[in-house]
Parts: sequence; C-alpha cells; structure tokens
Amino acid sequence: MSPTTLEVKQLKKSFQEDLILNGLSFQLKKGEILSVVGPSGSGKTTLLRVLAGLETPTHGSLWMNGKDITATKANRRDISLVFQQPLLFPHMTVEENIVYGAKVSKKYNKQKVERLLEAIGMSRYRNHFPAEISGGQQQRTALARAMATEPEVILFDEPFSSLDPSLRQDLRYWVRDFLVEQKTTALFVTHDMEEAMIMGDQIAVFQDGTFQQIGEASVLHHHPANQKVASFMGGHLILNENEFVPLGDIQLSPGHGDGEVRTFQGRMEHLTYQHGHPVAHINVPALGSRVALPVQQVTTDTEEVTLHIPTSRIQRFEVNQHE
Amino acid sequence: MKSFNLKHSLLFLPAVLFMLLPLYGLLTAVLNSFGRHRGWTLDYYRQIFESNRFVTSLVFSLQTALIATLLSILIGIAFTRSFYPILEKMAPRVSVWIPMLFPHFVWGYMVILLLSETGVAAQLLTAAGWIADPQQFPILTRDPDGIGIILTYVWKEVPLVILMLLPVYASIRPEYYALVDTLGGSAWNRITAVELPHLLPVLMETSLIIFSFTLSAYEVPALLGTTFPEMVSVLSYDWFYGSSWQKRPLAFAAMVSISLVLLVLSFIGYGYLNKARWRAMRGSRS
Repeated sequence: MSPTTLEVKQLKKSFQEDLILNGLSFQLKKGEILSVVGPSGSGKTTLLRVLAGLETPTHGSLWMNGKDITATKANRRDISLVFQQPLLFPHMTVEENIVYGAKVSKKYNKQKVERLLEAIGMSRYRNHFPAEISGGQQQRTALARAMATEPEVILFDEPFSSLDPSLRQDLRYWVRDFLVEQKTTALFVTHDMEEAMIMGDQIAVFQDGTFQQIGEASVLHHHPANQKVASFMGGHLILNENEFVPLGDIQLSPGHGDGEVRTFQGRMEHLTYQHGHPVAHINVPALGSRVALPVQQVTTDTEEVTLHIPTSRIQRFEVNQHE
Repeated sequence: MKSFNLKHSLLFLPAVLFMLLPLYGLLTAVLNSFGRHRGWTLDYYRQIFESNRFVTSLVFSLQTALIATLLSILIGIAFTRSFYPILEKMAPRVSVWIPMLFPHFVWGYMVILLLSETGVAAQLLTAAGWIADPQQFPILTRDPDGIGIILTYVWKEVPLVILMLLPVYASIRPEYYALVDTLGGSAWNRITAVELPHLLPVLMETSLIIFSFTLSAYEVPALLGTTFPEMVSVLSYDWFYGSSWQKRPLAFAAMVSISLVLLVLSFIGYGYLNKARWRAMRGSRS
C-alpha cells in the first residue's frame, strides 16, 4: 500500500455568500493520478487554487506527508500548478523557462534540465522563444517547468482546453505516460469526461462543492451514485431521481422478449455520427430531457419514435457510495 | 499596391512637417558648429572641450540629469506598483497627474516659493519652533549641488512615469504572479521575472525622454541653479545671447555635443530592445 501524499479534510471555501467548496475530503496516494471532472463554473479551479496555496480555505485542513500545510504559503508548498494557459515567460527561451522553475525552487541541476528537455521532446527547440513554438509545445514546456521544481504533487487546471482537438488527444496520452513514468502524484481537473477517464487512475465527479462519487471509470459507469454522476457520464437515460437505464438497453422497436416493457414517446431531432456509429438525438418530453442514443440503423422515414425499455434493465442509483 | 504605399507615406506627413523646424535647427547648428561662414574648422569643439567652464558644466549636467532621471523612475515605479489598483479609478489618477498641467518654469517657481530659505516651508518650521530662524533652513534652491533642479524635475516627472507605467501594470496578467508563487518564487522573483520584462521597453523610453529633457532644458536650471557649476543649457544660452557674437558657434558646438550624447544613448537603447529576447517579449518571431 503506497503512503498517502496529500490528504484533504473537510475543506470549505466561500466567497461572500457563495459556498464553492462544501466539506470536501479525499486522499491522494503516492504516484496516484486523480481526475476531477465537473461542469464549467463549478469551482474546480478554486479547489486547485486552495490546494496550491493561492487561496486560503474558509474551513478544513490540508496535510502533506502527514504534515499540516493549511497555513503554508504557496511558494513554500511542494505543489506545482500547470495553468489553463501555458504562461511561459515570453522573454525566456524554452530551456531558460525550465531552468527558471528549477532555480527559483532551489532544485537546479543541469542533468535534470537535460532530462526534462529530452522527455518533452524539446531538446531541438531549447533556444526558441515561446512565440516561436506551437501551443502544444508551449504546454509541454510549461509542464516541464512545473516538474523542474520536483513537486510532491502536481495540479493541472484544464491544461489542454486552449489546444485544438487533435493536438489535445495526442497530448493527453503523452502527459499521462509522462506522469506514470515519473511516478508523479497528480490531480487533473477537466470538464471533459473522456479526458478525465484517460488521465486519471480514479475519477472524482465534482458538483455543488463536493465530490458526488470517486471511483474508476467502470464503477462510475455501471454504478453511478446519483443522478448528477449519471448525467455527467452520459451513458444512461435518467428516468427519475432514483432510477436510470443504460442507453444500450433502450430499443426503438418492440423487443422479442416477453418481459414487461416501459415505453416513452420521443421526437428525433438530429442524427449524428460518432466513432463510426449513427447517434439519434431524441427529445423525450415526458422525461423533460434529450438523449443521444446510439442506433443500429438509420430510420429516416419518421421523426416520431418510441423508446422501449425492458423493466428488468432499469437500475437504481447507489446512494452514499462516494464515501 | 501603389495607392497603399502612397497612403502610408501620407500618414507620415504630419510627423515630417512637425519635425521640419527642429531638424532644420539641428542641421544649421551642426553646420555652424563646424564654422560654416568662417571656413570649416573643428576649432569650436577644441575650444569647448579645453574650457574648464564647459567640462565642469557637462559633468554637472550629466550628473544632475542622471540623478533626476533615476529618482523619477524609481519613485514612479514604487508609486505605481503600490497604488495601481487605486490609480485605476478616475479621481486618484487625475490628482496624481496634476503637476503635469503646469509648465516647468511655473513648477520651478513653486519649488522656490516652498523650499527657498525664505519660503513657505522655512516660515512654517520657524513658526512651529522646529528651527529658530528661517536662515537655518537648509539651502535647497540655487545650491551648487543641483538639489533644487533635481527636486523640481523629480516632482514634475514622477507623474509622467506613472502615466507611462500605469497601462503596463494594468496589462500584466495576475496569473503570472500566481505562477511564480507556485514555482516557489519570492516577491523579488515576481518583480524580476514578471514586472521588469514587461516594464523594460517603457522604462527605457521614459528614461530617455526624462534624461534628454533634464539634460538640455533651460528654464528650471536658469531659475533654480547657480552660476557655477551651471547646466550646459544655461551656459549655451549665455554663449548664444551673450554680448559677443564670437561665442555663438561655441553654443552650437555645446548643444550639438549634447545631441550626440542623446543620439548615442537612444541608439544603444533601441539596439538593446531590438535583441531577439525583447522582440520575443512583444510576440514576434525572429
């Protein structure tokens, strides 16, 4: 069992009347990568800023390797933050930016900088200024600069959101491999569930100031703790606050089985293709929601459709699973 | 394409028209300093650089201008840095800029009224019993060290420095400060890595403007200076409008020498800012 690197206890943060973090508690084991996923504006960045020491918590405590760091200033914490924008110093070259991170944290040695330049594939561009390299290269350099401080924990604040989609995909795999290789403990914040699943060993769904559920992708998919987790995962049709059905069990034509079936009327509004499969976007007025349902074949003759849901497939949310 | 070029050339027209007179003045001064009407010679330059009065004046001028410039810049930075969130509001900003409304000679008179040995400050301190007699008030105007000149210039130029630096401070992204903090940097690192690189071009420009002005302007040293050592501008004025026309070319040679110093400084500054590093700061590729 790996030792606990970072422990957060009952963390609360409010700005005036707004409670942004509401009694958040979790642990990060050494070398573990936790993805935190939640809608935009839910307070994910505030969580990172509190962890990094850029904001003081209203209540609760932070522990690193068994030591209370709640009152420790940002520049004294062994925590690095990779921001949404690369924020490279524009007047420093790629190498100077990395060296700056190492020197300012008083952990400079030449071999380490060489190793990092090599690892991010920027040895050739070491003398280039940030304005001369691409967005992806800038973000890799920013990561190397953060790593050069040899942090115990590295925090990522949606670092790929400003990149174009194909580059984002490549960089996800690259950063994930890099973190695993360097055995870095990391917390990765994103609003994209796919990104969260690629980056994290575990995924924490963050909404309303707290983690609704923490678990591996398969647990979150098969046993969502509540409506919020299920709606964020997107793989289910939520029937009410207690029940849901996996999209794969919904059929647009009557099934052959003789079990009990629940039906809902819907209107197909769009047809798109994802990962090579047609996806029907259906508005279901009775549930007050729209569902994106992967279908086998395209039925274009009518917009009106009926969703057939075998009662035996309907599941209940596993409440209180996230503790 | 032709009309495009023509349009661009036309845009330079106001600047060119504006510069015609000073450029004509400069050219005539250069020609006269080399003895245009009396046969070409370097004699006037030899004369001024052999004259103790001029060399002392040049050293005194450079020293006074340099101190005034450095103090204005340092106080301006400290002030802007400490108060820029307040200065973004209209009323405080306008009140800081009030000294800029007054011409330099008016500000010079104000300094005399306030800080001379018979001035308001001396009278107030005497009345308050801090000094027994106004005569005990330190000599701050018309002094041999140029304190009065420096005081007037600093007082007058600090608002200009604030005016120049305020937009730069307002444009620095606060995330950069957070970044330096998370890397483990101190308050000093924030200044050197984030603020100074942003400020550098503006600081360089502002320093050059203030230095050029304090080195060559006439009215403040004429009001607040002594007869020895005197600022180069005062000396040149004396040579130019003095009783003997013989000395006019000396005035030209003196001012052309000052212009040369300023030109060289400007080129060094421009060359430095044009290095790849500072071009990259402005986002251009090398």
